[in-house]
Formats: sequence, structure tokens, C-alpha cells
Amino acid sequence: MPEGARLSRPLIYLAALCLFAFSAGPVFLSFLGSVIPDQALFSFPADWFGRGFTFDNYRYIFTGELPRSYEIRGANRGMISDAARQVPGSMVNSMVVALAVMAVNVVLGAPAAYAFARMRFHGRTLAFMAIVLSRLVPAVALAVPFYLLIQAMGLLGTKTALILVHSVLTLPFTVLILSVFFRRIPTEIEDAAIVDGCNRLQLFLRIVLPLSLPSLAATGLFAFMLSYAEFLFALVLSGDAANRPLSVVMASLARNVDVSWGILNSAIFLAVLPSVVLVAIVWRFIVEGILVGGVKG
Amino acid sequence: MRVEAGRGQARAAGAPATRAQRAAVGRSYGEQALPWLWVLPALALVLLFTIYPVAHTLWTSLHRVMILFPGEPFVGLANYRAALGSAFFVTALLNSLWFTLIAAPLIVLLGLGVAHLLLAEFRGRFLVRSVVILPWVLPGAISAVIWIWIFHPSWGILNLVLYELGLIERYVPWLTDPSLVRMSVIVAHVWTQFPFAAVLLMAALTAIDPQLYEAAKIDGAGRWQRFTFVTFPQIKAMVVVLLVYGALVAFTSYDLVYAMTAGGPGTATTLLSFQIWRESFSMYNFGNGAAIAFVTVLISLGFILAIVKALPSDLFGDADA
Repeated sequence: MPEGARLSRPLIYLAALCLFAFSAGPVFLSFLGSVIPDQALFSFPADWFGRGFTFDNYRYIFTGELPRSYEIRGANRGMISDAARQVPGSMVNSMVVALAVMAVNVVLGAPAAYAFARMRFHGRTLAFMAIVLSRLVPAVALAVPFYLLIQAMGLLGTKTALILVHSVLTLPFTVLILSVFFRRIPTEIEDAAIVDGCNRLQLFLRIVLPLSLPSLAATGLFAFMLSYAEFLFALVLSGDAANRPLSVVMASLARNVDVSWGILNSAIFLAVLPSVVLVAIVWRFIVEGILVGGVKG
Repeated sequence: MRVEAGRGQARAAGAPATRAQRAAVGRSYGEQALPWLWVLPALALVLLFTIYPVAHTLWTSLHRVMILFPGEPFVGLANYRAALGSAFFVTALLNSLWFTLIAAPLIVLLGLGVAHLLLAEFRGRFLVRSVVILPWVLPGAISAVIWIWIFHPSWGILNLVLYELGLIERYVPWLTDPSLVRMSVIVAHVWTQFPFAAVLLMAALTAIDPQLYEAAKIDGAGRWQRFTFVTFPQIKAMVVVLLVYGALVAFTSYDLVYAMTAGGPGTATTLLSFQIWRESFSMYNFGNGAAIAFVTVLISLGFILAIVKALPSDLFGDADA
């Protein structure tokens, strides 16, 4: 067990509490913002909980039924925009793209990382450097050439374009991180498999990958998250509303002054949900795998 | 070749294969497996989207490419002189350097602390472990909205709480004071990035052989010595990866900070990426934008070299132990 286990008790609980508040607090705030009426939120002196809770904003996003605050005559009307109704559809778009990016990263990245970690061949260092250093160019500067390239491929406005570009952005880090993990697998295990008659491919599929499942899941999650959150290329390359990813819709909502605070927060909380579900599934697996010591062998 | 002490011992005890035999085995199956086939799919995809864009950017940086003027004549280094000579560039460069030099190490340090904490035994640790990566999974636009709400000078949560607690007399302009805003955007940026560092460092920490700690203890090493002589060398490769990643992300960052402040107040949080964007898409001077982009690449390269030099590890080396 690493050294962390040896801190004093009260200190650990204090630190854990701070960490919990720092990580979850801001997200919890946006949930509160989505169910507390705007009037209560912006009241002065602050009285957040005096007006009860409302789920009207969520109902509007899914059904188009206007929130009650919008109907009140004479009162400070809630603001509204049709853009909020694009959120559920764009979430699906983003998830499809992100899952595909995750798959590309694992399927292409893992073999490459393994070759860099364990095989000797001419040009290995050069190829490794080329992959890793490809991410030096600022994304902003790549917007125009990527656009021209995707246009030449006839993929403008498609999900495929985003999958390609997000994979290119994530693969270098996937390869870099996985090769660190693969190198830490004790060579004795691999030698034993070779002596038992495994070839490289069998060794990789039957020994190395199962041993590295937690780190594969961690890098897969990394690729998913980067794609799900990526904004610039999503904006430049995505076309009509049907293919628009979540980050673009959210950015336009955040800038739209016609969108009430409650609706914006409802959209935020909805947008967070799929990641939370994925995290709950994959994260547990990663943490357990890490702690059982999968990499240790 | 770097073989850690623990592993070396294990091999001496259990595995009879000599180095020569292992090398021979390595050669034979290495050749059968055609290493390039393993690398090529990933390499081809990355190169397709690297060579042309880099060549395009380089070409643009050497020509006068403006929407308003016809023709794209070769102008040599004029774009570089014009772009680098402007006061806006110097400000943006300093802002980006400052942002990177604070944010990247802070992310790794915080990640290391969090990784240690999450590996400790305490009640409710599963709950904390589950929420800790929440910040990392939010798109930048969303994180920005949340952090604007926290830091907002007139209706932000932070001011509300501090005021109610009696810690401040009047609301603090977190986002409108040039020196405070730099701190605010770094807090938000670190918030979005530390979980990833924590996850990878947790993995690196658990991969350390516990026998090494036992041996160090028998030798009388204190907690700090155990960290510097046992823990750190074992996680160094991961620390290098995270520093490189953190520096690149911070140095070329655009979405979160821009969404929070639009580069202001004034130019207090204008980063290099905004400057590239402004030259290219506001001034329509793509040549200048590309020139700044190339300078950014060179500085990023400098960051990587500095990190790799300062913390030598087997990451880029030839060590297939």
C-alpha cells in the first residue's frame, strides 16, 4: 500500500471533505440553480429556499411546455429560447461521437503503444516523437487546415469528421500514457508466455491487454471526455442542427441572453448526466482494477 | 536500460532466462510480428492530420494571406516581424507563460495529493472517489458558466458566502480586477484538469512494489526520504507525461478562459490562442495568425525539452526493460 494510508485520521477526513466540496460543489450548485426559481435565486437579501422547487425547466426542455414563470402576467418574466430544446438531441450526437473516438483510441492506440514499449525497430523513436509532438500545434491554428482537409474528404458537417479529428487529438496522449503502463508490466510474465509458445499477437491479446484493463479503461475514458467536451472543432466542422454536438449547443446557450438562468442550469445538469453515468460504471472498474494491482502482476 | 531494484531481485530469484536468451527471443518474435504493422494505423491517421496542417500553417506564415487583398505573395519573415512586434503579442505571450507555469505544476501537485488521499482508507472514500472526476467530464463552456456564477462580482456564490460569513465587507471583483481575474481563471482551469492527473497518479502509485517500502523502512528511511527515494523515482515517468500534457493544454488553452472572461478585463487574460484567433478571424490576417502559431509551437517544444531534461526518465529513451 502506498504511503497515503499513513496520514492521521482527522487530517484525512478534513482533506476528504474539502476534496468532496471542491469537486462536487460546483455541479451541485448548477442542480440547485435548475430547480430553484430565478426570482428566489436573485433575491436580495438572499432567500433561496423560500419559494419551493420547480421542475418546469426540465419539462420545457423535453416537451416544449413553457415554464409557469413565463406565463405569469406582469411579473418579471422568465426568458426562454428554443435553443434549449436542442440539448437532448445534441447529447446523443456527442455520445455517439465520443464512444467512437474511445473505440478508435483503444483499437489503434493500444497496439501502437505496445510496439513502442516493447519492440525494437528502425525509426521507433522517430515515429514515437512524430505521434507525440503532433499535438504541439495550437488547436486554434489548425482550424483552417483541418476544415480544408475535411472538406476535401467530403465529410463536412458529418459525425465522421468529428470522430476523425477528435481521434487525432487524443491518440498521441493515449499512445504516450499506455506505453508508460505497458512498460511497467514485468517482463517475466511476457517471457514466460513466449516460452510457452505464444506469439506476439497472442501475448498481446491474452496477457498484456487483460493485465492492462484498468489503464485501458482510464485512457478510453480520457478519449471519451476530451471528445465529449471539445468545442473548437465541433463548432467549425459540425453542420446543421441535426448533427450538432453538445458543446456547441451549450456554448450558444451560455451566450444567449434570452435563456433564463434556470433553463441554462437545467441544460447543464442534463449535459453532465451521461458523463456521470459513464463515470459511475467505468470509474469503479478502473479504481477497483488499479487497487487490486492489475498492473503489478 | 533501467531496471528497478525490486524487479531485478524478482528476476534473479525466479526467472532463469539470461539476458542473451531474452534478447534472442526478442529478436525472433520481434521480426515475425512486423512492428510497423502495430504502429502504422495510429501513425498514419495522426500524420495525415499533422503534415498537411503544419505545412499549410508554415506556408501561410510566409505569405501575405488576407481575405481583403487579392493574391497571396511570398513575404518572407514579414508576418513574424509584424506579429511578434505588436504589443498585443507580448502581452498574450506573458499571460500564457504565466498561466502555464502556475497551472501545470499545480495540477500535478494537487493530483498527487488527491491520489494519495484517495488511496488512504477512510469511511465514505468510495463516494469521494466517485465525485472526484466530475470536474473533468464537463465541457469547457459548462465549467465556465458554473465558475462565472461562483466568481461573479455582483451575484456570485463566493461573494455571497464570504459576505454572509462576515469575512469581507464588500463584494470582491473576482472577474473584473486584472490581478484577481488571473487567479480566478487558474482556479477554474486547475479544477477541470486535476482529476485526470489524480487518476493516472493513483495508477502509478499502486503499481509500486510494496517490498521497496519495506526495504526502505528497514534501512531507516523517514517518510520524506521514502517519498524522494522510493515513490518519486517510480512515478517519475507519469509525472513527466502529466507535466508535458498539462503544459501543452495550458499553453494552448482557449475555451474555458475565453468563455469566462473573453480575454479581459482589458488584456489581463488574453492568452496566445486568442491572439492567434484574433489575428486570423477578426483581422482576417491569416499570415500573422500562422506566424504566432509557429512561435507557439517552438515555445511548446521548449517546455517539453525543459521538462524531459529536468526529470530524466525512460519515457522517450530506448529502455525496453
